[in-house]
Amino acid sequence: MSGGPPKALPSTGPQSLRDMPHPLAGSSSEEAVGGDSTPSPDLLTARSFGDKDLILPNGGTPAGTASPASSSSLLNRLQLDDDVDGETRDLFVTVDDPKKHVCTMETYITYRITTKSTRVEFDLPEYSVRRRYQDFDWLRNKLEESQPTHLIPPLPEKFVVKGVVDRFSEEFVETRRKALDKFLKRITDHPVLSFNEHFNVFLTAKDLNAHKKQGMALLTRVGESVKHVAGGYKLRSRPLEFAAIGEYLDTFALKLGTIDRIAQRIIKEEIEYLVELREYGPVYSTWSALEGELAEPLEGVSACIGSCSAALEELTDDTTEDFLPVLREYILYSDSMKSVLKKRDHVQAEYEAKLEAVALRKEERPKVPADVEKCQDRMECFNADLKADMERWQNNKRQDFRQLLMGMADKNIQYYEKCLMAWESIIPLLQEKQEDK
Amino acid sequence: MTESNFSLKKIEISVSEAEKRTGRNAMNMQETYTAYLIETRSVEHSDGQSVLTDSLWRRCSAFEWLRNYLLVYYPHVVVPPLPEKRAEFVWHKLSADNMDPDFVERRRIGLENFLLRLASHPILCRDKIFYLFLTQEGNWKETVNETGFQLKADSRLKALNATFRVKNPDKRFIELKHYSDELQSVISHLLRVRARVADRLYGVYKVHGNYGRVFSEWSAIEKEMGDGLQSAGHHMDVYASSIDDILEDEEHYADQLKEYLFYAEALRAVCRKHELMQYDLEMAAQDLASKKQQCEELATGGELFSIWVCGIIITNLKTFSLKGVTTQLFGQETPEQREARIKMLEEQIKEGEQQLKSKNLEGREFVKNAWADIERFKEQKNHDLKEALISYAVMQISMCKKGIQVWTNAKECFSKM
Repeated sequence: MSGGPPKALPSTGPQSLRDMPHPLAGSSSEEAVGGDSTPSPDLLTARSFGDKDLILPNGGTPAGTASPASSSSLLNRLQLDDDVDGETRDLFVTVDDPKKHVCTMETYITYRITTKSTRVEFDLPEYSVRRRYQDFDWLRNKLEESQPTHLIPPLPEKFVVKGVVDRFSEEFVETRRKALDKFLKRITDHPVLSFNEHFNVFLTAKDLNAHKKQGMALLTRVGESVKHVAGGYKLRSRPLEFAAIGEYLDTFALKLGTIDRIAQRIIKEEIEYLVELREYGPVYSTWSALEGELAEPLEGVSACIGSCSAALEELTDDTTEDFLPVLREYILYSDSMKSVLKKRDHVQAEYEAKLEAVALRKEERPKVPADVEKCQDRMECFNADLKADMERWQNNKRQDFRQLLMGMADKNIQYYEKCLMAWESIIPLLQEKQEDK
Repeated sequence: MTESNFSLKKIEISVSEAEKRTGRNAMNMQETYTAYLIETRSVEHSDGQSVLTDSLWRRCSAFEWLRNYLLVYYPHVVVPPLPEKRAEFVWHKLSADNMDPDFVERRRIGLENFLLRLASHPILCRDKIFYLFLTQEGNWKETVNETGFQLKADSRLKALNATFRVKNPDKRFIELKHYSDELQSVISHLLRVRARVADRLYGVYKVHGNYGRVFSEWSAIEKEMGDGLQSAGHHMDVYASSIDDILEDEEHYADQLKEYLFYAEALRAVCRKHELMQYDLEMAAQDLASKKQQCEELATGGELFSIWVCGIIITNLKTFSLKGVTTQLFGQETPEQREARIKMLEEQIKEGEQQLKSKNLEGREFVKNAWADIERFKEQKNHDLKEALISYAVMQISMCKKGIQVWTNAKECFSKM
């Protein structure tokens, strides 16, 4: 959609695989701080919160109070490190420096991930690794698996189907980088997800592929249990508050979809307007060549229209690169949130079904069987996590959209200011000779 | 007639109303046409107040008659053009219907402009027929007809012929014709593209109106964000509807350009007249030259004549007969008849020389006067078009400022989300 050909990234060129350092094995940048060691096993276990609950639920009893361990340690964390906006922030992650890698089998882009943290879970205060999109995808899947009660932020789309977008063009890579940066920052800001061991590995491991192969099955108790919930239970009715969330998400996604279509339509119209302007301006130049006294004024008008055309092109580029991707991200976000809601429904359904089964057994009033209690735990834990995440999400959504829409307004203001300047500057040119007469 | 009182500084002309009428035409068929009310006011010096002196209705065809009359009687003048009869260079919103009120309104303004151009022209403003157009309600058409202007008009065919065959037109007129062709072409192109630009710009603005509706719907499901979204949506509606006025203003700019598009034709008419006169002159000179030659040949005889005679004798050698020779030499003519012919030719030559002299004079007068008016026209054109460009730039500036205003308002609403 932009005027010239997409700019390609500097690539590392086709070198022999042996000569080239593996891009994911380590970075030659100054920020590569110390240690080639992979995280030790005890660090792994110590890092995961709710560490008492590594054991699978069979036979284990819930520790202490009714509130599941994940929630209680969560609460502890929140009380200590809650203020992510203030000075108590202790984890900073950035995505930058995209590089193209050309190998015999494939060509791909890696991004540099820089982590700075004072958390105990990190051996070193700083890390710098390189990751490619696949790795982010892996991370997200792991997070979904291991934290099914939480809302996991979306990734930018894997494939770009529409149009002739060059996935190595500077514009595309930059858009993607921003989205990946946002993804990691959202996880960083999350009080539970940011402590996830997969996240840690992602940020720190020199050789991520080795970890992927290890297939860490270190799930939280809830994670594991949720995974095993049979899908056969059907929920009779969603509790009001979750029904409201579901309805909200449906309408929200719908409205965003409409806004996306409108924005695309505007871009299309603007581009067609641009095409006409590019023919319009030069006609004034042609006319100028015929004239004597009018030559300069006409040429001035032609130049003016040219400036406005350039400004318009910038506007459409910005809308395509900055506005649309964020909209699409939020649509993906609400889709994934809806599936989390469904999972929650399943957990509740299982609990209710088991509870009913017990009630029907007509035994003397025994204590509630252990597995029903576990179901109740799961459900309440899920509900609590989800509610907390929803509130967090609503807050972030409001800030994100505020910024996004203000940005859109800003770009339009800048466009008009550029045009205004162009036209105001030729008024003296147009008026000048008349006074000389 | 008191047209000597006709001082352009003391009168105001306006075409103040347009009215749709029905009537019967020459073939007694019903037709609809538009009539225009022309009001003339004389301005009193003392207090600057104007008094209505004349008021009458004219239909379009009357304006055309007036212009055609002026073209015939003032061929050295660049006669102001009439506004277009049919809406050309429309963009989609404008109706191409001639009865559309917006079009009729723009036509009214165009006709008023035409009359004001006439009134401000140093030569045309003194014309009697123009004066009567403004003042004589009935029988104006008969009066114009009596001037016989329709008969005096040069035929298109004659003009075309002259254009092709003229040998030595004034170089300045060749250049002027070339210029007017180019001007017509470039302004047409400009108007066409401008119409497309207007169309596209309309589309851009109107689509933003959809934001208004969707923001409103979205705000219904939001708590804190709701108000900001809703009010921003309102500004999007304002933005979308602002384009209508903007583009209407731009139509006036297009009309100014159109006037000069049509002026190109008026320039060409003057060039054509010059070519006609020049061609006429060249033909007259050629005719005179051939008559002189004829005369010479008849009267003087001479060596050429003898050679010619020998030629005839030689061709008649086969059947030599004096009778044959003399017949060929003189036809059936007798010497007396030949004398008569020579005398007639000599008279014609004298007449021809006088005619050529006066044609030459006429031609030079025409060139002088035409060129004076062309210079006047050039100044007018440069002034007018510069004004038009300035007003166009001002329109663009206003549009930009409105845009900044709307988006700044929207931004503020977003900031409150």
